[in-house]
Amino acid sequence: MEAMLEIADVVTAYGKIEALKGVSLGANRGRITCLLGPNGAGKTTLMMTIAGALKPRQGSIKLEGNELVGLSPARIVGNGVALVPENRLVFPQMSVRENLLAGAYQRNDSREVVADIEQMYARFPPLKERREQLAGTLSGGEQQMLAVARALMSRPRLLLMDEPSLGLAPIVVKEIFGIIAELNREGVTIFLVEQNAHLALQVAHHFYLMEQGRVTFSGNPGELAEDEVIKRAYLGTRRSAG
Amino acid sequence: MIPFIQTTFDGLMVGSSYGLLALGFALIFGVMRRLNLSYGPSIMVGAYLGTLLYIQFGAPTYVVAIVAVAGSVMAGVYVERLCFAPLGVGAGVASMVSSFAIWMQLEQASLLMLPRHSYPFPSLTSGELLSLGPLVVRPDYLIMLAAMLAITAALHVLLYRTRFGLGLRAIVENSVAASLSGIDVQSTMLKAFALASAIGGVAGFLVLSANQQVTAMLGMWATLKGLIAMMIGGLGSIPGAIVGGLVLGVIEVHSQTLFGPQVRDLAAFGLLFVLLVLRPGGIFGTTAINDRVGHRGGDRWTTT
Amino acid sequence: MDDHLIGILSNIGVISFVALSAYLLLLTGEISFGQQAFFAIGAYTAGIVTAMWQLPFWLGLGAGAAVGGAAALFVGLPTLRLHGLQFAIATLAFAEAVRILFELFRYQVVRDGEPVGPNGIEGFRSIRYIFENDVSATQFMLIIYGLLGATLFGFFLLERSRLGVAFRMIGEDDLLAATQGVPVIRVKLMAACLAGAIAGLGGGLYAHLTTYVEPAIFDVMLGVHSLAYGLIGGLGTAFGPLLGVVIDIGLLESTRWFAGYRMIVFGGLVAVLLIVRPRGLLDERLVHRIRRVVGRRAPPKPANATVLRKELS
Repeated sequence: MEAMLEIADVVTAYGKIEALKGVSLGANRGRITCLLGPNGAGKTTLMMTIAGALKPRQGSIKLEGNELVGLSPARIVGNGVALVPENRLVFPQMSVRENLLAGAYQRNDSREVVADIEQMYARFPPLKERREQLAGTLSGGEQQMLAVARALMSRPRLLLMDEPSLGLAPIVVKEIFGIIAELNREGVTIFLVEQNAHLALQVAHHFYLMEQGRVTFSGNPGELAEDEVIKRAYLGTRRSAG
Repeated sequence: MIPFIQTTFDGLMVGSSYGLLALGFALIFGVMRRLNLSYGPSIMVGAYLGTLLYIQFGAPTYVVAIVAVAGSVMAGVYVERLCFAPLGVGAGVASMVSSFAIWMQLEQASLLMLPRHSYPFPSLTSGELLSLGPLVVRPDYLIMLAAMLAITAALHVLLYRTRFGLGLRAIVENSVAASLSGIDVQSTMLKAFALASAIGGVAGFLVLSANQQVTAMLGMWATLKGLIAMMIGGLGSIPGAIVGGLVLGVIEVHSQTLFGPQVRDLAAFGLLFVLLVLRPGGIFGTTAINDRVGHRGGDRWTTT
Repeated sequence: MDDHLIGILSNIGVISFVALSAYLLLLTGEISFGQQAFFAIGAYTAGIVTAMWQLPFWLGLGAGAAVGGAAALFVGLPTLRLHGLQFAIATLAFAEAVRILFELFRYQVVRDGEPVGPNGIEGFRSIRYIFENDVSATQFMLIIYGLLGATLFGFFLLERSRLGVAFRMIGEDDLLAATQGVPVIRVKLMAACLAGAIAGLGGGLYAHLTTYVEPAIFDVMLGVHSLAYGLIGGLGTAFGPLLGVVIDIGLLESTRWFAGYRMIVFGGLVAVLLIVRPRGLLDERLVHRIRRVVGRRAPPKPANATVLRKELS
């Protein structure tokens, strides 16, 4: 089992407030690794740090041995890491097709890009239906699909997903997780942040628990009783957590 | 009736230059969400460099034009590097004030080059009036109109049919999402700045050659006209910039014909004020400024 | 003290008023390019009262401040819904419109056989109350600084009052302030009115200092300068804008080294300064620290959340 992503002692702060207090974890190639934890634990901060939108004060983030810290977000995409951000962040005034093109911005092989877009349409039929529609008019679930498809357009080796189930109806969430599992079967390495511990544990090969800027548990689903995991994911272990 | 149409037509042509100036402002504002007060002065630097060559060395008109545009771009890049790139998105007011400081710097540098209040500027045509049916047209003005249409069309192609344009529009919508999608925000912003300065340089050159002179008020004039036209059309909106420019031109020329130059300027400012109060989004009410979202914290210039 | 120095100091004193005026609005989060309009209104009003209606000086100043405040209220009402850039441009439009109106404004009476009063573009000459009443340059300078000191004292009280906290809260986030029970519109109008009055007061002093005003003086440049002073000197305290004025007028006006290159040097310095200190020299953090060291109780401010928000955006 090779580590594809290795994070060591990352500290990210906002002014004086340390949101990440020395986080170390890893994601193995071809696997789904999941990060769980209550609100405010720093999960999104970690994702943004990996993606380059935030700069850590210290620590290292390596993708297959290459250091990502200090690179701009665009360069990190160029290195094969794509983030599906929390809240989707689609470009509302641009069409579905243009959103997909944006995801392929770094690529120069335009014929392949067009082929990939067709592939996305095949994988996500609602996107094909709405391909000239403005992304802002799509439903939450469709925007989530679009955000995933956009990230996939850069042909990432590592796909980061920040709370894909957020704000979506249960049926849609199930669909999204089905897609996550499918992508993984096709070989995409996925690092996933989720609030929905139950669903996350069903797809994850390995998971971490994070609280107040630190990793508090690392293990495989089954190592910890599920309700214990859920308790910690939502409430944390410390009495003052939450 | 004919005089009215004539005046309106004149207004449209004058408005073309305003539209181009506004276009430059809108490009920069759309991408950076900040106001560049050095826009007019950058154009002035280019124009003055061109004038210098014309006066000292009798340079031909096309050289003056190239130098004017190139000078604007150089000055624009200088401003971007000093006032905008080093200050992150969160320091909006600071970069505006910084650009004002550089306005002063660029204006004084220009005046050191050419200290007098006005200088001759080469013209593009012989100045003979053309007749378009019952209307009389100055060929220089017609060139301005044509240039505006050509540049607008070219810009449209750039924005909607090129990768660069896609990246630019993505940044306008959400610069964080854009960078996460792999768009190099810093580099795109710099290029947008250069493009805006080039457009401004062209506008400046055309106006000066139509008037056959350049004055020390150029910097202030270009900034004010571009700003007003942009606001009329809608903050940060590209089509709005053109429409705003044309509207401003028409209103100005009519006011001047009826009441004289002072009322002309008064009308421009009055129109702007009333428009802002009644319809702050401008004619095109863009989404570039959202009321609540993105206006959190310290200053109003940040965006989500 | 030699006359040249008195002149510079008086100038600094008077311009400080319009800088403080812009600063007050900046506290509430609004950028105004138009405070020079109230400066102009104050100048013309005070001049009319003393030179034309031959009323006492203090009445002139008071009228200048009052009319400035009233005008600010008048403009503030329709524009208060506007935010950020739109508000800034609206103030610019207003100020330029006012300036042009003064170019068209003619009102003269005959005194001692000579016409006195605003004469359109030519301006308003012979505002000679000070000289006619044997007030020396030094004495007038002291009057200016006396009033400036009173204004600063007013700011001092304001920073420690609930109104002052309300100003800063609105400046940070007016939606949030509203949810905390701050009557945002009313407070903003108050700020606008005060700012207008301060500028008007300064204008009245300016008119009597120079004895001559014309519309060209009250241009966009003055407006943006006033704003810049606060940004350069720092937004943490009312001394910030003063510091900005001192730096501009004091240091550079009076040093002959830079003559001719003054703006090039000043402009470049400001740009570099703002990279290093985007909220000015005496910014909120520094002032907060100074106050803690000095031991006085620091004025209440929304603490860590501000830092967080600024870093996140």
